[in-house]
Amino acid sequence: MSTATAPAPRPVRTIPTIEASPEEIYDIELEHSLLEANAKIAEQNRAVLDKHGITAIDFMGAIGSGKTTLIAKLVEKLKNKHGVAVFNADATTSDDQNLVAGSGIQVVQLATVNGCHLDANLVQKALNTIKLDGLRLLFLENIGNLICPAEFPLGAKARVVVISVTEGPWSVRKHPHMFLGAQIVVINKTDLAAAMEVSVEDLAADVRKLKPDIKVIPASCRTGAGVDEIAAALLAI
Amino acid sequence: MHEFSIASGVVETVLAYAEAHGVQKIVEVRMTIGELTCVEPDQLKFCFGAITKDTVLEGAALEIDTADAAVRCPHCGYEGIPKYWEGARASAFLPTLECPECGRAAEPTAGHDCAIKTIRYVRDASAADPPPLPVTA
Repeated sequence: MSTATAPAPRPVRTIPTIEASPEEIYDIELEHSLLEANAKIAEQNRAVLDKHGITAIDFMGAIGSGKTTLIAKLVEKLKNKHGVAVFNADATTSDDQNLVAGSGIQVVQLATVNGCHLDANLVQKALNTIKLDGLRLLFLENIGNLICPAEFPLGAKARVVVISVTEGPWSVRKHPHMFLGAQIVVINKTDLAAAMEVSVEDLAADVRKLKPDIKVIPASCRTGAGVDEIAAALLAI
Repeated sequence: MHEFSIASGVVETVLAYAEAHGVQKIVEVRMTIGELTCVEPDQLKFCFGAITKDTVLEGAALEIDTADAAVRCPHCGYEGIPKYWEGARASAFLPTLECPECGRAAEPTAGHDCAIKTIRYVRDASAADPPPLPVTA
């Protein structure tokens, strides 16, 4: 269908195969989607959240982009007016939970152990452990990874990608899939842009090239710039 | 490396089918991977080869067809191939959600596939039973 790409040559079969005579061979259509199982649980999560009037937000981004710090800032800003809970996912540590735990809200640490993404099943398990009544927002902090989480919806109403200028000027075009499914992109650590010699405008232009209507919010969790705008955007979802 | 969990899903599904239907040997598994997914076929094949040892899947070929991406624009009504971001990457054209006609945001309509389409297997030809029906997982 695509005219822009020349069709790739058929891959050469490198794995030795066992041959059978034609009358012994059966072709069966399975039509089994491998992402469907996760997608179904995500829909169940969404139904539970909708029933309680809770908007879940999936925060994705690389390690060190500032997801946890941003969530901690947002919690401080919002918790007195709105019911907020946080699920922090991490492969191994509970450091993220500790950053938010002092805020007095419900926080659950999810361990994906060796998994490279948070999945809907873990979120469902965590949902069963917290009190949902009175919550307005649920922040789901995904694993620090700019590739894998894109394929695994969790039941969130919106996805936020947090990138930072310290990841360099090419983080968007090198990880395009992450942005195609997002509604908001936060460009964090703008206070370091000059030192990094990275243009916030160029990063924003790359994001819009992939998805023209996406909301891009430059921010600095250190100075607090942009955090109000992010909070307002989340409450508007 | 979500390719490993996807390969595990493929193997679990096919082995369950094989066990339920007395399959002796799987010869080929054919999958479709959409252009808008970030599943890397070569990595998937590597994982598949590594975890099928000592099963009826050992030696089976994993054939992967790519499903093209398509978009629809809610603003101007365009439907068809996406606009590609040429030059963003050296090795591949990058599908975007910018409408090729009006430049506003289009929505993806195809290209998110990650599915087992067919399996090809060997079954004892002397068995009188007709070919078994597929299991819907």
